[in-house]
Amino acid sequence: MHRLYTRSPIAKIMWGILSSLVGIIALLMVLVSENPRMEAQTINWEGRSIENGAKLFSDNCVICHGPDGKGILGRGPGLNSYYFFTDTGRLKDVGWVGSLEDYVKLTIAAGRPSKTESQWPEVMPTWGGQFGGPLRGDQVVDLTKFVMNWEGSALAQTPDEDPFQPFEDVIRPTEFQNTAYILLSEEEQAAALEEYRARNIRSPQEIWTGEACFACHNLEERQVDVYGQNGPNMADLYERAGSRVEGMTAEEYVYESIVNPAAYLVETYEQAGKMPQNFAEKLSEDEIQALVAWLLNPDREQ
Amino acid sequence: MGLQENIRDKGVLGAVAAQADDVFTRLTAGIDAGEFRRMLQGEPPGRPNPRLKPHSEGFLLHIKPTYYHESVTRFTHTYRLGLLSTYLFIVETITGILLMIWYAPSPERAYVDMILLLTNIPFGQFLRDMHRLGAEAMVAIVTLHMVRCYLTGSYKPPRQFTWFTGVLLLVMTLFLSFSGYLLPWDQLAFWAVTIGTSMAEAVPPAVVGETVNLLARGAPDIGANGLLRFYLLHVLFLPLLLILFFFVHYYKVVHFGISLPADEEEVGEDTANRVPADKRVYYLPDVLVDETSFLTVMTALLIVLTVFFFQAPLEHIANPQSTPLHTVAPWYFYWLQGLLKIADKFIAGVLLPGVLLVLLMAIPYLDYNPSRRGKDRMVAIVAGIGAGAVMIIWSWMGTPEYAVEGAPSVEIVQDVMPEEGSGLSREIGYKHLPLGVWRTDEEYDVHDHEFMELLHEFNSAVDYYRRADPDFNAPIGILTITQAQPKLKKLNWEITWFSADGKEGEYKKTFWLHEDSLYWEQYGWKHLFMGYVADGWKSLSGALAGE
Ligand code: HEM
Repeated sequence: MHRLYTRSPIAKIMWGILSSLVGIIALLMVLVSENPRMEAQTINWEGRSIENGAKLFSDNCVICHGPDGKGILGRGPGLNSYYFFTDTGRLKDVGWVGSLEDYVKLTIAAGRPSKTESQWPEVMPTWGGQFGGPLRGDQVVDLTKFVMNWEGSALAQTPDEDPFQPFEDVIRPTEFQNTAYILLSEEEQAAALEEYRARNIRSPQEIWTGEACFACHNLEERQVDVYGQNGPNMADLYERAGSRVEGMTAEEYVYESIVNPAAYLVETYEQAGKMPQNFAEKLSEDEIQALVAWLLNPDREQ
Repeated sequence: MGLQENIRDKGVLGAVAAQADDVFTRLTAGIDAGEFRRMLQGEPPGRPNPRLKPHSEGFLLHIKPTYYHESVTRFTHTYRLGLLSTYLFIVETITGILLMIWYAPSPERAYVDMILLLTNIPFGQFLRDMHRLGAEAMVAIVTLHMVRCYLTGSYKPPRQFTWFTGVLLLVMTLFLSFSGYLLPWDQLAFWAVTIGTSMAEAVPPAVVGETVNLLARGAPDIGANGLLRFYLLHVLFLPLLLILFFFVHYYKVVHFGISLPADEEEVGEDTANRVPADKRVYYLPDVLVDETSFLTVMTALLIVLTVFFFQAPLEHIANPQSTPLHTVAPWYFYWLQGLLKIADKFIAGVLLPGVLLVLLMAIPYLDYNPSRRGKDRMVAIVAGIGAGAVMIIWSWMGTPEYAVEGAPSVEIVQDVMPEEGSGLSREIGYKHLPLGVWRTDEEYDVHDHEFMELLHEFNSAVDYYRRADPDFNAPIGILTITQAQPKLKKLNWEITWFSADGKEGEYKKTFWLHEDSLYWEQYGWKHLFMGYVADGWKSLSGALAGE
C-alpha cells in the first residue's frame, strides 16, 4: 500500500504552508464576497417573508380584502389601490404622520376594535399576538411586507382601475371621494374644494352643527357650565367681542378667532388652545362672513 | 547576570541578543534559540535533553507525552482521529462563542437572529456554516475514532476505562450536536427536537417519562423554556461535562500510552510504555510538526468545504401548529428514526438504545479474548462489521425513502414543491416558471428547458403513483401559475383522481415564489458564491481605482 504518511518534516511543513495559503485565499474570497452576498441574502429573506405573507393573507384576509387585495364592495377596503399607496391618499386622510408600512403594521397588529359605528359590517380584527390576536410578531411582519409589495401595481392604476370605496370617516364632500381627486396636486385640490364651497354655501346653523362647534361652545344660555366651561360662551358674545382686543372691532375679533383661534387665548377655559386650526380651509370666505354676522347677532335664529 | 555586566562582557549587540534569547527561552518554556535551530536542522538534542523541558515546565505541553513509540506515530495506526476530535471541539467552541454574540435564546428572537446573522453580519454565514459542518464532522470523526479503537482492540486491558470514558464522550458529542439543533428555531429544529424529546416520554412508568419530558422541554410542549434549556445545555452544561471527561479520557490515554500495533507485542502483553531508546519519536519537534501540519491541512479542508460547498439549512420559522411532511432527525439519529418506524416508542426509543449503549460500554468487560490481533478476533470483527451494517440499514430505514405512507396526491406535490427545502420548482426558480395552466394530460412545447424538466418530473410523479396505488386511477395533475403581485408568482397545484370504487378525489396545494428567493442556494451547493466574489471584487477594485 502506498504510504499515506510521510516522515519527512520538510514535506509536512510544506503541506502546512500550502494548506494555510489555501485556507487564507478561501477566507479572502469570503471577505471580498460578503457585501454582494449579504445583499442577496437580504432580498432573499425579504422575498421569503413576502411568500409567507401571501399565504397568511390568503388564509385570513381575502374574505374581506379580496383575493387580489382589491377589496370587496361594502365589506372591506382595497389595499391594492392607488388611493391607499399614494402620499396624498389614505395616510393624508387619516392624518398619519409615519410611514405607510408602519400604518399597515399597526392596523394588522391592533386592528380597529375601537370603531363602534363603522361603515363596514365587521371591524378589522386584531391580529397581533401582543394585543390578543392569533398571529405572532413575525407573521404580522410577513403580512405587512406582502401588503407593501402591492405598491408597484397599485401606483400604476388609473383612477378607473383603482378599487376605491369611499371612507365615511373622511370629512370630504362625497363628490371628492374618489381617486381622481387624490390624483390632483395640492393646489388643484384646494381650488376644487374652493369651487365646491362656492357652489354649496352652508348656512351658519348648518356649520354650527356640521363642524361640531356646539361640542365646546354654548350658544343659548348665559351660564357657567357646572363641569367647567370647555370654550367661550356664545350667548353674550355680542356684548364682549368688541372690547376684547384694543383696536379690533367685534367683527374683526370674531373673524380672527375662527380662522386663527390660537391668536387670543383665554387660558381659564378647560380646552384653551384646542380649537381646530383649519376652519380657514374648511369654510369658504362667504361662509365665514355669514357665520361672524350670525354669531354677533343678538336676535339670531337658532 | 545583570545587564551592565552583560554589556561589558559582550558589547551592546551581544547583550541584546542574549536578552532576546532569554525571552525566547522563557516563551518556549526551555528551548533556546540554538536548540531551536538544531531542531529545524534535524540534529539530535543536546544533553541533558532540553526538549523535555517544555513538557515539565510549560502548561500547554504538560499533558502531552515527551515521546511516542515510532509505530504509533504512523498515520495509518490512529489516523489522528482522537486528535481531530479534540481539534473539532476547539473549533466548535471558538465559532460557537462568536455566534453567541448575535444570538438570543428566545422564540421571539432566535429565528430573526439567524436571518440577521445571514443578512447583516460579515462572515456571519461563514461562521454558521462552519459551526454546523464542524458539529456534524465531529460526530462522524468521533464515531470513526471509536471504530478504529474497536478494530485495533485498543479497549482491551488495561484500557477498559479509557474506552468507557470514550463512550461517554460519544454520548455527549451526540447530545451536544442535538441540543444545538434546536437553536435556529426553524421547523427542522423544532420538530426534530419535539420528536426526540417525546422518546423520553416513553420511559416507564408514565410518571417518570412525563417528568423527564417536562424537565427537558420546560413545559408540555417546547417553547420559550425548552429553548432556554437546550441553549444552556448546548453552550454551558454539555461542553463543561465534555471537557471534564475529555481530560479523564486523555489522562488515561497518556497514562497507558497509545496501544502498539498488535503484531508488535506478545498476546496478553502491553508494552506501550516500554519504548526502546531507538524507537522513540520525541514530541519536540517531530510529533509537533506532524500534528500541526495535519491540523493545518484539516483546517484548510474545513474552510474550503464551508466556503464552497456547505450550507447550513434554515427552514420556515418553528410553527407548533403545523407538522411538516416527512420530518427527519439529523442524520446521526436516522437509525433511531428507522427503529421507531418498526417498533413502538418504548422499545425503539428507550429500551434498544439503552441496551446498545450499555453493550458498547461493556465491550471491554465482555470480550475476554486477550488477543488484539485481527486474525485472532474474527468473531469480534465480524460482529463489529455486522453491527455497523445493521446501523446503516436502520439509518436507511430512517430516511423518508422507507415506509412513509402519504396520500399519492400529497406525495406528488411534495416531490415537485416540498413544504420545506427546495424541490425542482424552487430550484429552477421564478424566471423559469411561465404563467399559464399546465396539465399532465396534455403535451407542451415550451422553449424553456428547465420548465420542461419540471413538467416532466410532475408527469412522472403522477404516473408513478398511478401505477403504484390501485386507489389512484386516471390521475390528472394541473399546475396553474399566476402573477400574484409584482415579483411574486402563485403556484397552484391540483391533483384529481378516481378511487378504486370510482369516487372522484381532489387535492390542492398553493405556494408562492418570490423572484429574489434563493431556496436552491439555501439547500444546495453554493453555486452563486463565485458570482458574489466577482461582484465584490469589481466594486472593490473600482473603489481602489476611483479614489
Ligand atoms: C469527544 C470525543 C473524543 C475525543 C476528543 C477523544 C480523544 C482521544 C485522543 C486524543 C486519543 C489519543 C490519540 C488517538 O488514539 O487517536 C484517544 C484515544 C482513545 N480513545 Fe478517544 N476520544 C473521543 C472519543 C472516544 C470514543 C467515542 C471512544 C470509544 C468508545 C474512544 C476510545 C479511545 C481509546 C480506547 C483510546 C486509546 C487508543 C489507543 O491506546 O490505541 N474515544 N482519544
